Amino acid sequence: MKPSGYNSRYGMFASFSDDVPEGKFQFSASDDILALGFEARCGSEILRGYVPPEDSTAVAALREAGGSLVGKTAIDEFKICSFGMTAECGVPRNPYDPDRCCGGSSAGAAAAAATIPGHVALASSSGAGINVPASFCGVYGLTPTWGRVSRHGLIDYAGSCDRIGLMSADPADFRKLLPRISFRDPRDPSSMAQPDLDLGLGAPKSVAVFKDWEWMVSKEVRPIFENALAELGDKGVRVDAVELPSLRYAVAAHRAIAAAEGSTSLARYCGLRYGRQDGDLSLGFDEYFTNMRSEHFGMAAKFASVFGTYVRMMDVRGSYYMDAVAVRGALVAEFKRIFENHDAVVLPTVPTVAPRFDEIKGLGLQESEYVETLSLPHGLAGMPHVTMPCGYASGMPVGMQLLADHWKEGTVIAAAEAWSKSFKTIKPGAVK
Amino acid sequence: MKIGLEIHVQLPTKSKLFCACPTSGDDLPNSRVCPGCLGFPGFKPTLNRKAIEYGLALAKMFGCTIPEASWFSRKTYFYPDLSRHYQGTQFAAPIGSNGTYALGKKKIRIRRVHLEEDPGSIRRVGDGSALIDYNRSGVPLVEIVTEPDLSSPAEARRFLADMLRDVRRTLGMRDDGDRTVRCDCNISVGKERCEVKNVTGLRNVERCLQYEAVRQTRVLKAGGVVERETRNYDEGRKITTSARKKGYEDDYGYIGEPDLGVFRPRAMAESVCATEMSSDIVGRLVGDYGLDPKVAEQIVHTSCRMASLFTTVADATDTETSRYWVMSVASDHKDALDAISDAEFGDVSVIAADLAVKQKAGEITDTECAIRMGCLLGGEDTPECSVARGNLEEIINRLIDENPGVLGDYAKNEKALNRIIGLAMRETRGAYSSSEVVLTAKKLVEARL
Ligand SMILES: [Zn+2]
Repeated sequence: MKPSGYNSRYGMFASFSDDVPEGKFQFSASDDILALGFEARCGSEILRGYVPPEDSTAVAALREAGGSLVGKTAIDEFKICSFGMTAECGVPRNPYDPDRCCGGSSAGAAAAAATIPGHVALASSSGAGINVPASFCGVYGLTPTWGRVSRHGLIDYAGSCDRIGLMSADPADFRKLLPRISFRDPRDPSSMAQPDLDLGLGAPKSVAVFKDWEWMVSKEVRPIFENALAELGDKGVRVDAVELPSLRYAVAAHRAIAAAEGSTSLARYCGLRYGRQDGDLSLGFDEYFTNMRSEHFGMAAKFASVFGTYVRMMDVRGSYYMDAVAVRGALVAEFKRIFENHDAVVLPTVPTVAPRFDEIKGLGLQESEYVETLSLPHGLAGMPHVTMPCGYASGMPVGMQLLADHWKEGTVIAAAEAWSKSFKTIKPGAVK
Repeated sequence: MKIGLEIHVQLPTKSKLFCACPTSGDDLPNSRVCPGCLGFPGFKPTLNRKAIEYGLALAKMFGCTIPEASWFSRKTYFYPDLSRHYQGTQFAAPIGSNGTYALGKKKIRIRRVHLEEDPGSIRRVGDGSALIDYNRSGVPLVEIVTEPDLSSPAEARRFLADMLRDVRRTLGMRDDGDRTVRCDCNISVGKERCEVKNVTGLRNVERCLQYEAVRQTRVLKAGGVVERETRNYDEGRKITTSARKKGYEDDYGYIGEPDLGVFRPRAMAESVCATEMSSDIVGRLVGDYGLDPKVAEQIVHTSCRMASLFTTVADATDTETSRYWVMSVASDHKDALDAISDAEFGDVSVIAADLAVKQKAGEITDTECAIRMGCLLGGEDTPECSVARGNLEEIINRLIDENPGVLGDYAKNEKALNRIIGLAMRETRGAYSSSEVVLTAKKLVEARL
């Protein structure tokens, strides 16, 4: 089937090309990753018409590796939300149940990886943006260490959190392709400090799990993850319970940091130079850009702009932004302590399976935060992690995530590969 | 009266602060831009290391505290010439703080020295619309902020002139006139201060401060209250006008720039040479060498290499000898001296001192010394001196034969002799002292009259 066929079924693409050359592996890029020949709207109407002047480093590297870019996948507006429902191009449908969401922000990437045979998706995250949709759509999702993959050409939201990663139904793709997109790139200074990628690391022999994970997840997820832990034990992996006191502050801290940075990243959009530029030019500048932002930003970008601006204002930055920065430091220290005695940390990826659209509609902002609670601690800490399918509840995939210390992508990739050897993935459509 | 200044100086880097676009060259609007300095989504800033080194050189010159770690911040405001709607600047961790500048005997405290990028520029066109040129977008600036330690407009101007001379020397910049400096001027006559934004050039700074001082004094004398506000300076009418009232501090919502990360100024500063402020050098020349303060100032203001040459020669001889050679021969070769490398200059200074020692000891004549030192400092080959000695009287007699017109001219004006003296000096290349040549020429010419 051609990309258009998949797209009409699942709505995963923001833009695509049916002109697929033979003999190349196919990949997609989320719509915040620039690629020549494709518009980059980043899930937002305000960027309609933005055709980038060059490829992002990651896209160029995969093309170089023999890949063919078939399309740009739908993401939540500026990767802000976590259900995959705010993209300007429409809402992708979960391959396992069209009435359920894909999760966000890299919603379309997960749907593409789950449905298109042999497909590899370049996806992005500014917190839990790879974890959540990969878990909801039953695929493997790799989020490398912050600074591992050059973000030259990634439209930014929260610079200190933004990362590019990979999604695939087969984690062997990670071993094959991560080295192709991991290198020091002078055009993204954050990539210059990375040590060499070591894919010789073995799968973890001892893992830690948060002591209180059980009451943090739904009752359908609980037995599945329990089984997964037992299976790890059977394979000879030591599993210990540990505490992570700062975990409870992670979501709030991430909100403050991501929105504070995000509100500055979003400041540039004013309807000039790129994207929508069709406002009333007879207006003064202030009125012009206010109108353009009011009309063409979605609710997600508007909320992030207002909230993010607030938390960095002089009178309150001490109690919001600066506290959040302190929490981030504490989280890194707590994780480092855990990694003194363990190779990795395992957790359920999301506390639930993918919710139905009608369930999401009723959720307020705070109620929907639960989706990210188990991903944001390491999202803030910038550590590499992988999510993998570990079971199915009422036909919907459940994800398990495994994270390792900074720069140890080798550990999480080895873990995912080992897991995939014995875990039987059930393809969408095959489950009742 | 209290005056504090915030001074912006463009750093002489070849490329911009956060991208590789050139800082000078083609002046066609928007010809020196890239997606980065145009603020296109997806493009990350990269840091120009040279700009940081320049900033550190200035921080060192002011004797600032240099932090272990520093970073850039985003200063957010919406204005069309600011391509990303945030300016890359330094907020919490400037590369220098708590320095001083010696203005004569007075210490002016320097609160901070930090780096930032310039926005683009706006040109308003007749029909009410505006054109934006992003060529300047991202050009590196250093901002130097003083404490309110200046007490008159004239002093502020003098401070600016002296300090900028030191800044230019430290950065290896040519004196490109007053216009390149941009200042925000804070002035209070009573309790409340006003800030006059974006004043260009020394003369305007002094004038705007004079105007403000008079204005505020009048308000206070009339029993009024000076309101805290931002004002603009109208260069044409030479007055300041109110821009906006300032009941509160501007709030730019600064946060750290996540895309550039942290850099280590203190470690970097080790390899950056500190330059001495010119007032310190003047003080040293007067204090350690007993040089007349006026002469010391003249030497330092000519060029700091001149001052350095003076000390090297004076250390080898004495103050008066060194003063003579520096003021006579060396000042003619100021530009050539400024053009050579530090190492070359060091060698040249030592050889010059050696020549002065030889002349003082009578081993070479003053003329020979002047010629050789001139060639040395001017970068020419040193002539062979003692070889061409020959008989002075013969040489001068021949020169008179070759230039018979001199005799008639000399009868009318004694200065005509200089022609023969000059030719003789060139030919004998310093083998005879200048007084010897003059006396001989005079004697032989007069003998023929
Ligand atoms: Zn540029």
